[in-house]
Amino acid sequence: MSRYIATRALRGANLIVKEFDAQLQKALAELGPDKEVQFTNTAYYLPTILGYTGMSVETIGGLKPVLDHCRGLLHSPPENRTWLPYLGETLDAGVATLLAEEGIMAIRFANGQEPQRMPGLELTGTSAPSDTGYMNGPIDDIQLRSWGIQLVDGRMPGFAAIIGKAKTNEAAVEIVRQLQRRNILIFLSGNVNGRSIIHQLMEEGVEMGYDTYIVPFGLDTISTVYPMGFATRSALTFGGMKGGQTREILLYNKYRVFAFALALGEVDDLKYATAAGAITYGFPVIADTVIPEIRPTGITQYEHVISMPWDDIEGQTDAEKAARFVQQAIEVRGVKIKITEVPVPVPYGSAFEGERVRKADMRVEFGGKYSRCFEYLRMVGLDDVEDHKIEVIGPGFEDVEEGGAIDLGILVEVAGRKMQEDFEPVLERQIHYFINGASGIQHIGQRDIAWIRISKGATDKGFDLKHFGEILYARFHGDFGAIVDKVQVKLITEPELHAEWLEKARTAFDYRNQRLAEMTDEAVGEFYSCTLCQSFAPDHICVVSPERLGLCGAYNWLDCKASFQINPTGPNQPIPKGNAIDAWTGVFDNVNEFVQQGSHGAVDTVTMYSIMEYPMTSCGCFECIMMILPMCNGFMIVSREDPSMTPAGMTFSTLAGMAGGGLQTPGVLGIGKYFIISNKFIRADGGLKRIVWMSSFLKETMAEELKEAAIRAGDPDLIDKIADERVATTEDEVLAFLEESGHPALTMEPLM
Amino acid sequence: MPVTVEIPKERWTGSIREVTLGATAEQGGTRAKTVTVGGETTLPFLHFEGEMPHTPIVGIEVQDSYPADWSPVLLAAWGDVLNDPAAWAKKAEEIGADVIMLKVRGADADGNATSPEQAAAVIQSVLQATGLPIIVRGPGQAELDNKLLVAVAEAAPGERLALGLCEDKNYRTIVAAALAHDHLVVASSPIDVNLAKQLNILISDMRLPLERVLMDPTTGALGYGIEYSYSVMERLRVAALTGDGMTQQPMVCFVGEESWRQKESRTAEGVPAEWGDIEKRGITWEIATATALLESGADIVVLRHPETVDVVHETISKLMAH
Repeated sequence: MSRYIATRALRGANLIVKEFDAQLQKALAELGPDKEVQFTNTAYYLPTILGYTGMSVETIGGLKPVLDHCRGLLHSPPENRTWLPYLGETLDAGVATLLAEEGIMAIRFANGQEPQRMPGLELTGTSAPSDTGYMNGPIDDIQLRSWGIQLVDGRMPGFAAIIGKAKTNEAAVEIVRQLQRRNILIFLSGNVNGRSIIHQLMEEGVEMGYDTYIVPFGLDTISTVYPMGFATRSALTFGGMKGGQTREILLYNKYRVFAFALALGEVDDLKYATAAGAITYGFPVIADTVIPEIRPTGITQYEHVISMPWDDIEGQTDAEKAARFVQQAIEVRGVKIKITEVPVPVPYGSAFEGERVRKADMRVEFGGKYSRCFEYLRMVGLDDVEDHKIEVIGPGFEDVEEGGAIDLGILVEVAGRKMQEDFEPVLERQIHYFINGASGIQHIGQRDIAWIRISKGATDKGFDLKHFGEILYARFHGDFGAIVDKVQVKLITEPELHAEWLEKARTAFDYRNQRLAEMTDEAVGEFYSCTLCQSFAPDHICVVSPERLGLCGAYNWLDCKASFQINPTGPNQPIPKGNAIDAWTGVFDNVNEFVQQGSHGAVDTVTMYSIMEYPMTSCGCFECIMMILPMCNGFMIVSREDPSMTPAGMTFSTLAGMAGGGLQTPGVLGIGKYFIISNKFIRADGGLKRIVWMSSFLKETMAEELKEAAIRAGDPDLIDKIADERVATTEDEVLAFLEESGHPALTMEPLM
Repeated sequence: MPVTVEIPKERWTGSIREVTLGATAEQGGTRAKTVTVGGETTLPFLHFEGEMPHTPIVGIEVQDSYPADWSPVLLAAWGDVLNDPAAWAKKAEEIGADVIMLKVRGADADGNATSPEQAAAVIQSVLQATGLPIIVRGPGQAELDNKLLVAVAEAAPGERLALGLCEDKNYRTIVAAALAHDHLVVASSPIDVNLAKQLNILISDMRLPLERVLMDPTTGALGYGIEYSYSVMERLRVAALTGDGMTQQPMVCFVGEESWRQKESRTAEGVPAEWGDIEKRGITWEIATATALLESGADIVVLRHPETVDVVHETISKLMAH
């Protein structure tokens, strides 16, 4: 906490409480203690006071205990020798300030001085006694409910309380326009040397009132208490809280009401004090002048006080500066922007995902045989991304002959408070689905073997390179808004830059592979559950660990981790491993407990690394099924793609009926195919060396990976010793093959 | 030799939440009475094992404009009142409804879109015509539902209407409207235990007390997935009774809508003679669907045909007798 801010806030608070005292004594004398006070057309008495203290003030006399309360919150400004944080005192001062301000407002009401007069001001939609000549006064309950519903359901991201006067009239207009564009409510109050943003907007002919989401409250700082009252009433109305539940009310505002204050122009003591009050609600303050910042987070979600001197903001015009200023405010508050439509000139939807673009219909392609195409998503700092910036760097495809090819690099840069480097590959893999959603576009592959075709039909409708950017921007915000705050996309065709970024991308891919290889079950504290399939397999629950991906192959540990961030109440929940009951077979006490609950009592123990003892159950989505071949002292693995008869005497589809449905059957296991190459693969039963038969499809499509796994298992020729459907479809034939090839399973410890 | 057989009893640890629809003048509304559902401590009608403190209830569906798409059997049974939602609701009360389910269709028979003001007027006229608690449903398109239900909620503050359907797409707006104007919501999910549970979590995260949430697990009519509905409802109920707090909501089933939609209830011509009389067939279909769903845990069944209402009432009272 800045000593400077603390000092000024405490000074401001002492002054305003004194002012409240003076006005209260005067009112007691002139109006008497029984004179009614109330904000017209609102429930909840004096809302800020009610929220903070639980006091239901109905008369002037009722303000006396409020004044006492204020005094109790005041401290003297820190002495020069005090170096400790003064956060507590400063926040107390902020609270005292808000209470005193609301008390003063109540007295003004009793005197008929509120809503304030403002000659020449016309409002479209207001709670004031007349459309002309008045400030708005407190927002009435009907309007509170109507806006409240939109604030609560997210259509309205939040509100901005603007205090003071913008640098210029143009700046004032631009700031307001930027906020309006984002559907953010705008509350106005305060002045600098007698000039207020309210004057500025009036002079520029900006329409104000409920209908335009701009509400002017007053020319003084005290009027800022109306937005705070609005926030308190939101918590009381929509949060179901009662007056005096201070902590709950403040937390409600911190986590659910995305409000912030913009302090424009010079900040005086009372503004500092009022700002301290706003911070208790979790509302950060962004100033356009040089003031000390409070960067550490705590009371607010992120920074408390940010200074962005107007003249130092990047940009040629006030419009550009305003855009950056408001963007910064939104980031500091963590306001999420919603995008619902993908703005491309072709139909868009998951129905188009499987579409093929044939050579004859193709306008241009990127990647494949004749050019190189890569896609790379990386995380960068919040300041290094300009949201919605889409750049095509290098020539477009206008000059490419019909059916021709050029190099393309798609570089997606994302930033987010909750983004983690580990999520890069999870998000990057989505590019495939996102781009495929456009009609007339085909996307195959990923990373540096991506291959994209654009059809003639799509280009005829105006589809262009930049639309890849639009798709990715909209979809990443739409689907991953929980972890991604900003997205920019570069579409690179310029040869030198393309080569440079391809190199960088490859380095990153190598690094990720390395990281994945190093990620072991021992290295993490949490596994993840997956209950996505419980709709048809009610008692099945997948436990996903770094070294054992989901049996469907679609969810690995990182996917689950990201999915949990995006959808905290969804099907992927973290399971703290707890204590190992048997580290070798992979039995953990917390995992057991979770599985017991998730399977509704059907399964009480599960091993991560065994097929013979308490194997994990299956829903039915497995990529492969494993089954014991008793004569061969090992297991077979049949893949979903393999329709042939297996040595177990059943085809994949017959076996699937046995293996699925959430049943725990020792000797039968459904797995994702990449589990086969994991170091933990049925380790308790002997690992890869126990595999005596495997669909040739797996051998071929995973040749490299299997070879490496065989080397790690200490038997480089192992894969060749494993039978497949081409040489054996009965267990006798498998056994004969094993004896000839010298398979290690025959000399291993008996399985049964 | 006489043998004593002890009937095995399950010891459930959880119970269903009690949810009260409607508010009397004392409670801030205008209803003549309120209705409470839920509170079960055992599976449906197992009186030897636990309590069913509240009898399952019957709702009757009323629509805001003439339901030209309804089966002629229904149109004939109701007659003229179909043109006037207030009269319709009044007649439904006379026939024996415990609650009214008002469906705002979104457009009238001629295709004119319903405005929020019209929706507000309809709820007010129905409130005046009947003293029963009311469930209000929108047309079933997320955006339109939001627009119309917010208007309805605003027009009837404090009445403790049950607003629906709240789905994962639009629950936020409807829940906010319920919070703002003191109503309940009907949380609807597509036949899935986890999705039902998740929606309840999301709704309670918005701080609507679960005492104000009914659950619609999605109704499959007889012959059209009723076994699927049955199984999911049973699993929800078992989860609730074993103590899972997020599945303990009373369930409402929109039986009339589902069963009268099916071919068996609608088609008189070109069907085998053994299907029998169309009039009886539709009613039988509705009765069979309602009874099965009551047995799977429905606390409220919403019906369409007056005759079904009688039979279902009788079935319920027999099942409750012990």
